[in-house]
Parts: sequence; structure tokens; C-alpha cells
Amino acid sequence: MLRLIGQRLLAMVPLLLIVSVMTFSFTALLPSDPVDLIIGDRGSEEQYEMVRERLGLNQPFLTRYADWLLRAMTGDLGTSFFNSVQVKDAVLQRMPATLSLTFGSVLISITVGLAAGVAAGLRPGSWVDRTATFGATIGQAIPNFWFGIILASVFAVSLRWFPATGYVPLTDSPMEWLRSITLPALALGLSTSAAIARQVRSAMVGVLQQDYIRAARAQGLSSRRVVLKHALKNALVPVVTVLSFQITVLLGGALIVEQVFAINGIGSLAITAVRQQDIPMIQGIVLILVLVVMLVQLATDILYGLINPKARPT
Amino acid sequence: MLLTLLFCALFAEWVTPYDPLQQDLINALQGPSVEHWLGTDDLGRDVLSRLIFGSRIAVIAPAEATGLAVLIGVPIGLFIGFRGGWWDWVVMRVVEAVVSIPGIMVAIVIIAILGTGLHRAMFALGILYSTAFLRLARSVVLTEREEVYVKSARVIGAGPTRILLRHIFLNIAPPLIVQVTLTVGAVLLAEAGLSFIGIGVQPPQASWGTMLNSAASFMELSPFLAVPPGIAIVATVLAVNLLGDVLRDSIGRGVRVPSTGAPAQRMLAVPRKATTPMAPHPDDALRVEGLEIMVSPKGEAEVPVVTDMSFRIAKGETLGLVGESGSGKTVTGLGLMGLIGTGVRITNGRVMLENTNLLGLDRRDLEKARGNDVAMVFQDPTTSLNPTYTVGNQIAEVLRIKQGLSHRAARDRTIELIDRVGIPRPAQQADAYPHELSGGMAQRIAIARALSCTPKLLIADEPTTALDVTVQQEILDLFRDLQDEFGMAMLFVTHDLAVAADICDRIAVMYCGEIVETAPVDALFADPRHPYTAGLLSAMPHGQSGKPPLPVIRGSVPAPGHWPTGCRFAARCPYAIDACAKPVQMTGTDRLERCTRADELSLEPAK
Repeated sequence: MLRLIGQRLLAMVPLLLIVSVMTFSFTALLPSDPVDLIIGDRGSEEQYEMVRERLGLNQPFLTRYADWLLRAMTGDLGTSFFNSVQVKDAVLQRMPATLSLTFGSVLISITVGLAAGVAAGLRPGSWVDRTATFGATIGQAIPNFWFGIILASVFAVSLRWFPATGYVPLTDSPMEWLRSITLPALALGLSTSAAIARQVRSAMVGVLQQDYIRAARAQGLSSRRVVLKHALKNALVPVVTVLSFQITVLLGGALIVEQVFAINGIGSLAITAVRQQDIPMIQGIVLILVLVVMLVQLATDILYGLINPKARPT
Repeated sequence: MLLTLLFCALFAEWVTPYDPLQQDLINALQGPSVEHWLGTDDLGRDVLSRLIFGSRIAVIAPAEATGLAVLIGVPIGLFIGFRGGWWDWVVMRVVEAVVSIPGIMVAIVIIAILGTGLHRAMFALGILYSTAFLRLARSVVLTEREEVYVKSARVIGAGPTRILLRHIFLNIAPPLIVQVTLTVGAVLLAEAGLSFIGIGVQPPQASWGTMLNSAASFMELSPFLAVPPGIAIVATVLAVNLLGDVLRDSIGRGVRVPSTGAPAQRMLAVPRKATTPMAPHPDDALRVEGLEIMVSPKGEAEVPVVTDMSFRIAKGETLGLVGESGSGKTVTGLGLMGLIGTGVRITNGRVMLENTNLLGLDRRDLEKARGNDVAMVFQDPTTSLNPTYTVGNQIAEVLRIKQGLSHRAARDRTIELIDRVGIPRPAQQADAYPHELSGGMAQRIAIARALSCTPKLLIADEPTTALDVTVQQEILDLFRDLQDEFGMAMLFVTHDLAVAADICDRIAVMYCGEIVETAPVDALFADPRHPYTAGLLSAMPHGQSGKPPLPVIRGSVPAPGHWPTGCRFAARCPYAIDACAKPVQMTGTDRLERCTRADELSLEPAK
């Protein structure tokens, strides 16, 4: 197992490199000159050159990339063009909100998706199944941010059960933290819940027809035990696969849902950076997001191996 | 739904009651009214009109982005699929990298380069979703390239370009259409998202996403504002997704297989007088009386698959249930345990295990009886063990649940059992997963589990059929040894008379859901009384020489529902007479047979 983790960590390196080359060259394509944006129209020629040199933009592209890469490897992602904030600090400061949201929604979608999927898969064609399948189809068509708006207007604005906006860090108050991320995580988790429910349902229907389920029943194990122990573990395999796909969807969705609930996470940081054409900030955000995605996918790979012994390295 | 959308998009100017940009600040943020059916927004603009104009975006945006995605993705995918090598490697790594970045972030970065606005945002989404088409095109090329007919086309002399055009373009169409609908749905959602965060469609232009943006800001004042555009998005995406589902189903299924058997000819077996009940015998482990099982195929009338099934098995005895596939052997075995699936029902009979009628038990008592009193070994050992648990765990579980053993004791007993069924290094093998064992080993495990609670009856359903011939013999020997030790009765279901001869004391021959003859093994082989038995015996391959070609019983087994009312074998029987058109009862005392002419015929014994 340790070897598998090691291998996977090593395999991440080339992928990260490619992502870094891509973001770096894409950001080099930015149409406007960042120097102009910084000093404005009235800047003199000397000022212009000075800023250009300070930002290292007078260097050739490859030199800039190599320089950036070397510093990135030591954990230094550069400084924002517009305020002297370290990119790393800015991203790390915003990360907890986005991650809370994302993982909250992962939890919600596993719980909801699993429950709905199992209930539907146990009796295909029953009203439970039809309701769940219908719900999943609708759930996948609802934009997460719209669901967020609806949730906010019902549970925050009208009923006042939850705050409508803002994020409270976990370290400040665990209770308030939970309240502040509940609605956004629900909004974000909807479509993934639906995706998981669909997968679990069809996996469950398939697994329940397997010989080993009949054999377990023949051995006199109770239906409950057969479903919860023997069938569920097999039906979990596709859940893990879906999660590994959905993590990019959820992280991306978090950037948008944050806007509904005015949460200062990566989303607003990224949008501001794009508006200002703040190159180091964009690069840093992309790189760290990709890192998060890869770590989550590594975790799901390990989980996959735990659930499915056939997938383990021998 | 989609047609309405198209109509609105095309004729927005004529349909809308107001100019979508006309402001009326005095009447801002109003709820639905007669003048404004869906109310007005923060600048007093008519929501309905904006909604209708928004539909134009909802058509243009996915068309642009999906079109672009196909135009970029498909050619590149085809190219690298065909070219392979270095090109393929580089492009696929780039695709992997793009896919590992959250899609919205990719779009945001591309929009950062291109600037905001609908067409630029759609360009960004087009690039993003092209990866899906690229992968699809590539995989189609790779599969098709391996296909035999591509190779054969190459032999005939068609040039590589023609192979590409003819074969690949034909095969890529169905998945491509499905992928297009998926992408259209995804683009709709993404466009709304981008416009919502203000980097897609720019105000004051009306799009459903921008409408939601302003709705979110005025959530407290006018919560209704968010409803119309949201519903519009959901309904549109839903319609597109459903269209995709329908397309996938219809394309995926391909040519519809004609349903077998004309319902017009279907005929129910006429209820017949059951054979006189057997007298109970103190030595019986199992006594089955008049078992009848019905199956209802989807949407069709219920048909019998097992009728008038009666037999007994003494303690420590092995009865072979022999017949061709489809004769109802397996469903009988499952029926005894109450393990028949949905659409199958036991309509008559008793299954007496010692003094309990298994069919009369409620669910809980039946669960209790299974495993403890009666257990089953299945045909394919590799599928009858759960792939996600170790084999030891699966035996120990039964011991804990059914026998109330502690974890420790269950583990010890498990290893004993694994040792008993002849598996070397039992403690180590207990921690193996089913896929790590050979078929023979897995079947030994399944047997160990079935015997773990020392049942009175073991039902073995073709337990050696899936195994190698050499392993078959070992497993048969194991069954015999274990029966000597555990003393259970066995019902051995098989289609192989040689196997039955090897292990059984008595054999019951099944044909079309009923037993046609029951006799001790030696008697059955030496003196078959039913023509079907004789046919089976003569069709057995035997060692000496293959000189006369194997005789075959003429005709084929009629399917359930097509059984004749009289003797079910009559149509294939060389000895059939007019009297065979009437239902036939089991007759005899020591051995039983279901044949009108049993007494007068002298049939050829096994060679």
C-alpha cells in the first residue's frame, strides 16, 4: 500500500509540471500589458521600465518560467502584481472556506446519494425507486448556484435558520462554522448526490443479482445483513469512482456557490485576479487547486483499493 | 419543451410583451401582475421579456460551445488515435492536465486571456469540452483499429484513408450524438454559472445567468425574482438530458431482438391429478410432495416450470437430480430453500425437512433454517463467494451469526473447516480473497461454508460443472468423504449422468419440469424404464471407442408453457402410442416411472 502511494505521488510530478507549463504559457498570452494596468495611463517611460524590471517581465519567457518553477518548488509562488501580498499566503488564507464547502458537500452527497441509491436499488420499479430516479434526474439539471439562492431565500432570509452570507472559520466557532457552510454545502452537493444515487442504484441492482448474494441468503444470513454487509460494499466501488471524477466539479462549483453566499474563498480571489489580470495570482490558484484535486484523487484511489481487493497491487 | 425554446429564441421580438431593456424604475422589483406576468426586476424591466430573450442565449451558447468542442476535439482525437506514438502521448498528457483542473477554473483562465462576453466565454467552454470529444474520437479509433474487419479491409487493399473514413466515421456517430447532448446540458449550466459570477454574458444583455445574478442581490427584497430564470434553466437542461437518455437507449440497444415464442401458442399446463402422496418414513431427511413452481415472464401469463415434483432422500443418502438444461432442476433446488427470485412462485406442495414444512415457515424461521438445517453449494465458486471479503471472513461470519460463536472461536473453527476440505496452509488461505484462489479451491471454501453449521441437507447445484475435469473428481471425492463424516443427506443437481453415477445412491431423472423416473443408480443404468432415461443413457459418451456416432434424442426440449398435456416426452419418443396423449402418473413401488408403457417396453441399458 505504501508503495502504491509512493508511486502515485511520483506520478503526480509530471502532471503538475504540465499544468504549470500550461498555466504559465496561457497567462503569458494575456492580451493586456500588466505594467500598464499597474501604473495606469499617466506613468512615465522610466516608471514603466522600472515596474517591468521589478516584475521580471523584461526577461525572456523561458527564463521567467524556470525562475518561477524553481521558486514554486520551494513553496514561493511569487507576489501579487497589485498588492504586495504573497500569492501563497493569499491562497492559503482563502483555502479553508473553499475546502470546508467542498468537503461538506462531499459528505452530504455520499450520505444522500448512498441512502437514495440503496433504497431505490433494493426494489427496482417500486415507487421509492421511481421517486429517487426522478429526483436524481432533476437534481442533475439544477444549477448549484440557483439551488443556493433558493435555499438562502427560504432557510436564511425567510426562516432565518441559517446565516445568508459569510463564512465563520472553524477555529473561531465550530458551531457557527457548521451553520455558515450548511446551506452552501447543500447547494453544492445536490448534483453530486444525484450522480452518486444513480450509480449506487444501478450498482445495487446489479450486485443483488449476483450469485454471492444468493449464496449468502442460502447460508441463512438475514436480508438486512446481506444488503448492508455483502451488497453495499460491492456497490460502494462505483461511488468512489464517481467521487474521484466529481471532485473537480465540486471544487469548481464551490467557486460559484461562494458568490451566492458572499463567502470569501478561492472563488472571489480568482475572479478578482482575472479582472485585474494578476498573473502570479492566477498561476498560484490553478497550481494549488490542481494539487488539491490530485491529493483527493490519490485518497480515492487508496479507498478504492480498500473496498475492492482485486484492485490492490499484488 | 425544446421546440418552445427554439421558437422563443427565433421570434423573441414578436413574442415578448415589453422591450427587455426598457427600464421603469418606479415599478421595480414587483411581483407577478396582470401587466407583468412574472413581475419586474431591480430596474423595472419585464422579467418575462428578459426570460424570452434569455432563451436566445440558451440556444446560441450551447450551439457555439458544443460546435467548437466537436470541431476541435474530434479531428485531434482522430489524428492522435491514428497517428499514435509521440503525438498521442503528449496530447493525452495535456488532456489529463486540463481535466485535473476544475472546469470552471479552466474557463476562468481562458476568459482572463480573451476577456469577458458571451462569445468569448463560449469559446472558452468549447476548448474545455473539446477534451471529452477528443477522448471519444481517440478511443473509437483505437477500438476500431483493432477490429477484425478493419484488418480484413486492409488485406483486401483499401487504403488507410478509406478505412478511416468508412469504418471509423460510421462507428463514431452514435456515441458522438450522445456526447453532444451531454455537452449541451453541461454548457447550459456552465454558461449560467459564468454569467452568474459576471464573466460570461455582460449586463444589460439578458441571459438566465445574469438574471439570477441580479436576483441573488435582491434576495431579501424580492425572492421571486430568482424563480423564473432558474426554472427555465432546469427545464431546459432536463429536457436536453432526457433527450440524451432516450438517444442513448435507442442507439445502445441497436437492433431489437425479437421475443422468443409466440404467445398465441402458449398454453398452460392443465392441472393434473397429483401422484398419490408418499407415506412418511422415519428414515427420511427430506420429503418433497407435489411441488409446483410457476414463473411469470415479464408481461406474460404465468407458466409452470416444475409440476408434481415428489421425492424423498433418506438420512446420509445422496439423490441425483438429473436432466437437460431447462428441465427445472436448478429452480427445484432453489425452491426447496425458498430462494426463488421475483416473478417466481411456489404454488403447491410441501417440503418436509424431517418434521418441518420449509414452505410453511415465515421469513425469520426460514432464515434460521437456512444454513443450520439446509445449505447449498452453487455451480460457479468464483461468483458465489463475495469478492470483497476474505474467504475466512465469509465462513466465520456464518459461524458467528448462525452458531453464536465468538470472533476467536469462529476463526479457529474456520481454519479447521478449511483444513478439513483439503486446502493446504489453512490459516494463510483463510486471509485470501476469492479471486486469489483457483476454481477448485474456491469450491472447497464454498463447501466448507455450506457445511459449517452441519446441516441435515446439502443441496449441491452442479457443483463440479464449472471446474476442470481433474478437479471435478477431487471435489466429488471430497463430497463423499464429508458425507461419511457429517452424515447429511445430499441433493445433487447435475446434467452429467456420469457424475451422478459416481456420487449418487439414487437418481431422479427430470424432463420438462417433472420427474420421469426415480431408481437406484445401478438399477437405472442396467434397466431404464422410461424411454427418456434410455435416450439419455445412450447419449452418454463412453470410453471404449467412438465407433457409432453418439445417438441423439430427436427433436428438442419444449420450453415451459409449450408442454403437451399428455406425456411431455411423447413427441420425441420412439415408442409413443395414442395412449400417451393422456396425462401420465408416476407408478411403481420400489422404483418409480412416469410412462404408460413402462411394463411392456424393454429398453437398452447403458453400455
